[in-house]
Amino acid sequence: MNFPLSLSDISLWLAVTAIILLITSELLSSSTEYAGNIVIDRTRLRLAALAVGVSFMITVAIRAIRPF
Amino acid sequence: MSPEKTRKTEESVDEAALTTTQYLVETAKQLQTEVEALKSEIRKARNPTSTKIGIIFLVPGVLSLVFSIFYNSQVLAFIGLGLTFWGALFFLVKPVRYVKGSLLDSAAFASYSTIDRIIKDLKYKGKSYYLPPYPKDAYLPEYLRGLKDMIVFISADSGPSMPSIEEMAKSKFFLENPKGISAVPPGLGLLAQFEKELGADITKVEMTELCEILPRIILENFHLAKEVQMKLEENQIYLKTVDSIDKELYAAAENLRSVYLLGSPLVSAIACAIAKNTGKIVTIRQIKVSPDAETIEAWYNFIEG
Repeated sequence: MNFPLSLSDISLWLAVTAIILLITSELLSSSTEYAGNIVIDRTRLRLAALAVGVSFMITVAIRAIRPF
Repeated sequence: MSPEKTRKTEESVDEAALTTTQYLVETAKQLQTEVEALKSEIRKARNPTSTKIGIIFLVPGVLSLVFSIFYNSQVLAFIGLGLTFWGALFFLVKPVRYVKGSLLDSAAFASYSTIDRIIKDLKYKGKSYYLPPYPKDAYLPEYLRGLKDMIVFISADSGPSMPSIEEMAKSKFFLENPKGISAVPPGLGLLAQFEKELGADITKVEMTELCEILPRIILENFHLAKEVQMKLEENQIYLKTVDSIDKELYAAAENLRSVYLLGSPLVSAIACAIAKNTGKIVTIRQIKVSPDAETIEAWYNFIEG
């Protein structure tokens, strides 16, 4: 009974999620005309995106230090 | 009293009692319905849609993660990770509480109306001067502490004389020499919010930088207008707002003079920001409003203090 995902899998998942979140938060904060009606806490979304991005970088660093 | 009359009276009393009971039952039912409606409104307010979506994502996500461990399935693990993450994200980025923009006008209207009455009553024909405050961390003796507050001075006549430091320090409303009133600027609260959002003291920012930062905060962080333009010109600053949230104040049927004198909360907040940033006295030279009040243009001038 092990967790079926390896570090590479998690790294890939984090990368995809980080890209989606970063693009969303960037679009939300730049185009106020279209995104003005979306009422979510943009600061938190941006923070979450950055956190996922940083997590991905950490997994990359771990893989760089310990390739196997 | 005859028995027939007594019976009739008893019947009418019964009928009246029945009507009253019926009325009370109806009212109780109505009140109960209202209570239920209020309860459901409270429930909705407590559990916004994003929370419900969060739960819908989170529960299958966690289950999927658990099953992925049991069945050693990568697909289930990916699905579980995704659902759990997005569910948690929905909890985190709950909608912030928004109120209707028209509330700002309604709240500000009473203050402007009061200032208008005072100006009319005292027959003041002067201008408004935004006086910069002393820095909060600067040492001042007790009797001069009033100088740390931002004030707007409305002069009785159009003469350029300013109140003395001693008079300003007393934090009085009516000033004698020169005649005028010293009030709290209507945009001071907004300025405090801008500073909070900026995360820095406005005095430590360059003026050219401020002309770029303030419109961005107004547009992106507070959505107070659809378009904001702020330009530093020779000895003046030009501001243009399109579809600002307080535009109705200019279009008010009462034609408030104080709105043009002090500026709407947004225009006033920018005057406060300029005065605080430059340390100079700022006056609103002109406010130009388009016929439909969509576009508001303001010109701020500096006066050497």
